[in-house]
Amino acid sequence: MESLSKISSLLETARDLTLEAAQSAGSASRSFRRDASKNISVAQLKRLLDSRNDRDILEGLRKVISMMYRSQPCLPFFSSVVKNVASPNIEIKKLVYIYLLHHAEAEPDLALLSINTIQKSLTDQNPQVRAMALKVMSGIRVPVISQIVSLAIKRGCADMSPYVRKAAALAIPKCYRLDPKTLPQLIESLSVLFGDRQYYVVGAAVTAFMEICPERMDLVHSHYRGLIRKLVDMDEWGQLATLKLMTVYARKCFPRRTSRIRKEGSIGFYGDEDEGAEEGREVQLLDPDLELLLKACKPLLQSRNSAVIVAVARCYYYLGTPEYIDIAVGPLISLLRTPQDIQHIALYNIAAVCLTRPETFVKYATHFLIRITDPPYIWRLKLEILAIIFPYCGPHMNGVILSELEHFSRGSDKDLVRESVRAIGRCAQSDPRASTRCLRLLLNQISSSDGNLAAESLTVIRHLIQQNPLSHTKTVVRLAKNLDTATNPQARASIIWLVGEFAGIDGENNVAADVLRILAKGFSDESGAAKLQIVLLAAKVYAHYLNQAQAVPSVSEATAPPPLAVSLGDHGGFSEPGLRDGQFGQKWEESALHRETIPLLWNYVLLLARYDTSYDLRDRARLYKSLLANPKSTQLATLILLAPKPVPHTPSPSEWRKGFTLGSTSLIVAEDGGLSGISGYEPLPDWVREGEEPDRSLRNEHAVRAEYTGKKEVPAGDRLDSAVREGGKGAHEQGSSWNSTNDPAPASKSKSLDDWLAEGVEEADRDGGNDEEEDEEEDEEDDEEDDDDESDETSEEELEESDDADEHDNLVRQ
Amino acid sequence: MSAIEALYIFDQHNPILQHTYRSRPLSASILHPLYLAHPAPRPSFIYLPNTQPPTTLYSIVNSQLLFLSPVSTETEPLLILEFLHRVVDVLEDFLGPPLLASKIESNYDVVAQLLGEMCDAGAVSNTEPNALRDVVEVPGWVGRILGTVSLPGASLSSSTSSSLSMQHLSLQPPVTQLPWRRANVRHTSNELYVDLVESLAVTLAPSGRPLSARVNGTIALTAKISGFPDLLLTLSTPSGKSNIEHALELPVFHPCVRLARWRERPGEISFVPPDGRFVLAGYEVDLLPFSIGKGLTSSAPNASSLQLPVNLEVRKSLGPSGADFEVRLFLTNSFTGWSIPTGPSRVGGLGSRLGTSSPAFGGSSNAPILEEVVVTVPIPEGVKNLADLRTSRGEAQYSPGDRFVEWRVPTTGGTLLTTGQGGATLRCSVVGISDNDDEDDGPAFSFDDIGARGEYVVEDAYQSTAIPPSQEKNEHQQRRSDLKRVALNATLMPSSANVSFAVKGWLASGVKVDSLIINARASRGLGEGVKPYKGVKYLTVSKGGVEARC
Repeated sequence: MESLSKISSLLETARDLTLEAAQSAGSASRSFRRDASKNISVAQLKRLLDSRNDRDILEGLRKVISMMYRSQPCLPFFSSVVKNVASPNIEIKKLVYIYLLHHAEAEPDLALLSINTIQKSLTDQNPQVRAMALKVMSGIRVPVISQIVSLAIKRGCADMSPYVRKAAALAIPKCYRLDPKTLPQLIESLSVLFGDRQYYVVGAAVTAFMEICPERMDLVHSHYRGLIRKLVDMDEWGQLATLKLMTVYARKCFPRRTSRIRKEGSIGFYGDEDEGAEEGREVQLLDPDLELLLKACKPLLQSRNSAVIVAVARCYYYLGTPEYIDIAVGPLISLLRTPQDIQHIALYNIAAVCLTRPETFVKYATHFLIRITDPPYIWRLKLEILAIIFPYCGPHMNGVILSELEHFSRGSDKDLVRESVRAIGRCAQSDPRASTRCLRLLLNQISSSDGNLAAESLTVIRHLIQQNPLSHTKTVVRLAKNLDTATNPQARASIIWLVGEFAGIDGENNVAADVLRILAKGFSDESGAAKLQIVLLAAKVYAHYLNQAQAVPSVSEATAPPPLAVSLGDHGGFSEPGLRDGQFGQKWEESALHRETIPLLWNYVLLLARYDTSYDLRDRARLYKSLLANPKSTQLATLILLAPKPVPHTPSPSEWRKGFTLGSTSLIVAEDGGLSGISGYEPLPDWVREGEEPDRSLRNEHAVRAEYTGKKEVPAGDRLDSAVREGGKGAHEQGSSWNSTNDPAPASKSKSLDDWLAEGVEEADRDGGNDEEEDEEEDEEDDEEDDDDESDETSEEELEESDDADEHDNLVRQ
Repeated sequence: MSAIEALYIFDQHNPILQHTYRSRPLSASILHPLYLAHPAPRPSFIYLPNTQPPTTLYSIVNSQLLFLSPVSTETEPLLILEFLHRVVDVLEDFLGPPLLASKIESNYDVVAQLLGEMCDAGAVSNTEPNALRDVVEVPGWVGRILGTVSLPGASLSSSTSSSLSMQHLSLQPPVTQLPWRRANVRHTSNELYVDLVESLAVTLAPSGRPLSARVNGTIALTAKISGFPDLLLTLSTPSGKSNIEHALELPVFHPCVRLARWRERPGEISFVPPDGRFVLAGYEVDLLPFSIGKGLTSSAPNASSLQLPVNLEVRKSLGPSGADFEVRLFLTNSFTGWSIPTGPSRVGGLGSRLGTSSPAFGGSSNAPILEEVVVTVPIPEGVKNLADLRTSRGEAQYSPGDRFVEWRVPTTGGTLLTTGQGGATLRCSVVGISDNDDEDDGPAFSFDDIGARGEYVVEDAYQSTAIPPSQEKNEHQQRRSDLKRVALNATLMPSSANVSFAVKGWLASGVKVDSLIINARASRGLGEGVKPYKGVKYLTVSKGGVEARC
């Protein structure tokens, strides 16, 4: 979704905005203001802060905060500022807190003095004040107070205001960082918050969980279904944390039931094309609880937050069946409408998904057409994706993609040209049907005056030819002609190498020797790379010659093949006007001549190389010479020089990012971050093995199992609670699957029996009211939607209120 | 675990704000030069492996302000970027657009509170502008300008005295039941404005055939309604109601929208809005519905199905040496007779906002206004200068070394571009860097000449029918140098041109707002018989969005 500021700026008349910007840009006013704040002396500022007048104090605090943001020293005011922490004025309080958060670490002793006052605020009537106090207390990085903070968190978890409970949740990781020894208490608080009925409290709790103890999956079991139900209504950040947790949880707790069958399925999955693997997919069973998660994610695909969409895609990608992945594809595409920065990241993720499910992206192919306004980091990825989906497109789209690539390969941007040509190569490689057309495209580029383009095209052509050498003999002849015009050293070297590779094909009709003859004449003007290849070519030609001579010791001149003009003439389709075919062949019709010339040429080239300035070249020449000099080693030379080369395969650049989790930073950084990703990266766990997963009954709500309580040190209070729970609710929910428990999550915080009873009534109420809409997502607005429920609802609210009030009393009594 | 470590804001040169959230991230003074060292255009994601610790640097730029956020551990990159965008939105909401350095500097206390609330020690906590209004103190003039600012504690005291509905709202002060809506909203004049903004993304092949044509639409809403309104916005498309689901593709929604309602009845958006301005939904529309992208490969896209207010055509390699290119801009005839997607009478109370509330908007909705037509032609790097820059209308700007020509075409009366049938044209010729060098004729020895020079001249059919070698060679040479020049100039030709414009009162997709109804039964706190003023505005923009290739 576009950001509001962008849309607003489109709607406003641009003129007004620039006018205002221009006015403010008048640096005069700003420097004046800066001076003004500087002009206030420390003494004056202190006087303001020490004043009895709220207005003055506020004024002073604002000044201090400004100095803070400008990185001016404001520690001298510490005591004057902190003194105001007791002010009843909430505005002053907030600013003091901000100051404290930034500077307490530098003055721990003075900061400690304020703790008492802050602690008092923890019991303030106004929930906002309570929350703020909790936040500041946990945020002050003074390790001594960790126990107090952990106590305050515990109390905050039971606060009647969800706002305070959320602050408590957010304080948990801070307290943990302050003193890791508080972990047991914190985990206890956390498990209370997991059961909270307020969506945003749960979201914050999950965030805290992921930070302090992401490995404690045992805490999640009993809240699993509740969390999933609340997922839709959490705020975006809570959703992100929950999705992350659930992806890991599912891997650890739901074995891939169909692992044997999945193999068949995965053939159709990765090997694409083959849609016949349908049965394999059907057999793939999803655990009902896992399916619950996948279904609950679906509405999130329409989130305005791109991170959420990618998180759901990740969830589907690693947990779901291919059908689920396909659902996520459209929403991923919708991220291409977002601002460029988000688009950039989204494209990496799209490319990663695209490698597994290319066929689903075909219908969105036009989204990846490059726009001239795209910066390099965007078009690079778009080109890659176009090449990935190319083989899956219909002929029309194929045409569109190829002409797109051709268009950009003729552009002026060197990088873009190079990437386009490479993309053409990948297209040709992945789809043999199109390779002729791709090759023609590339061949046109060789004669381009742009050496860069020519070189890049040749490299790609070479790869293509190697993949299917027999059908490309004529292409090689045509390439050889380009030696006239090609100036780029790399391009020349590529061509020469190719000619050498093909020297043995087609026996005596080959052009290799002729090419060598011409190249030898200009040897001294060639670049180093080309020289190396010329020597290699000479060696190959000579090796072929030797082999031939051995095979047919008495070649009768009478049986020499007729002139080659015929065979070369029929590739006229490739040649351009002005170039005449047949020229190469003509000279070699006389085998006798042939036989004499090749050793001569070989010796000549060796001679040239021998006096070259390059050590490397001289060494190689010497090597080839001694290899080929002795007839006994001819076979060895043949093996070395004429061995069939492996077919090169250029993978998509994203191919090897594949190992990294979707949506992670490591996926994007890839190579620079090292093999194990950047610091803090953890790959998703493998699916748990069948039989090792935790019992699924653990996920039954309200049924806190003995096994669970036994394993972890759960405080007595909680155990009592669970006993209450079982007593009060066990009958109500017995053996039922989650579907029938449409009530909000069980509040597992410490409550009196009365509370439990009251809640039971309320829940029964609610069950009756909402049964029909069971499977719909539970918007909180559901209530508002049906007016008939209104009376019910208000009574419910009242109940809730009294509920909370009771609870509060409880606390006070404690 | 995802954590935001710090937020730095810079104006052109200086850091104007440094807010540290957790641990000790690299300081602004270290990061800024590293950011600038990256060659432009700078991506918003830069990995700096050589810093200690290795850091990922996220950045966004908003109206000359640069927002940087360093992260040293594994995170979800989109989380950070989304957060930065929210920061910009929230700051703009509180300080007023556009966001300027001076505004931030004079409101450091508000900014400090906002940043502290939005992200708590690295965990993003509260990014809803409405919820932030409840907890952030806005002093003095800003507060007055923004109107209603709820006082702390006020909600507590009012809960007992106010109506049933108010009681519902204030049960849990200060955070309301709906995180995105503030409690106790009161407005003296109730207003509802819908803005539909669509931006075009069209690519035209050299033949003029559209390769792809899409619009990205956004629905922005300004809701200033007291209490707790429950709204229903109904959209329709030219292709009919049944088809709306397929017409509006891949929608995304603000969390306030009831997704189930949309799923059941596409086109109806039911929601309780936040107070103030927000983006309700985003969607996209394919303007070539039965074409390429859909897999119906046989039917080539019908060019006439795509109607744009302007059309662009680029021709290159003109003139004797192929050094000229020409860009032509047409006004599409059909544009003037466009069916306009609004009718105050039909909409029922949804009056056009034009004229009454914002006269500056100008024009009537029945006559869409075409404005700000700018054609941009990217110029390849090899070009030294453009000679003979001529336009039939408007002004074209190019100074040697620029990478593009910008051609502003005036629009007379907002609707008509030019009187001539041919539209407006821009023509010029390129001057390359190496134009003066006399090219020598390539290598003295040529592979082509094997036949002529080599020792093995043999009569064959090819040679005998050809003209004598020497003559052929001369002509060949001549032709070649010509070709070479054209070929050289061809590399200096632009490969495309794009046009930017804005059309008010018209949407390329034809989507329109059928109605915007306040569901009185579900709403609370809105006085009896209060009829909010409603307005709708349509805008189509193309920011270089129509691209013609050649």
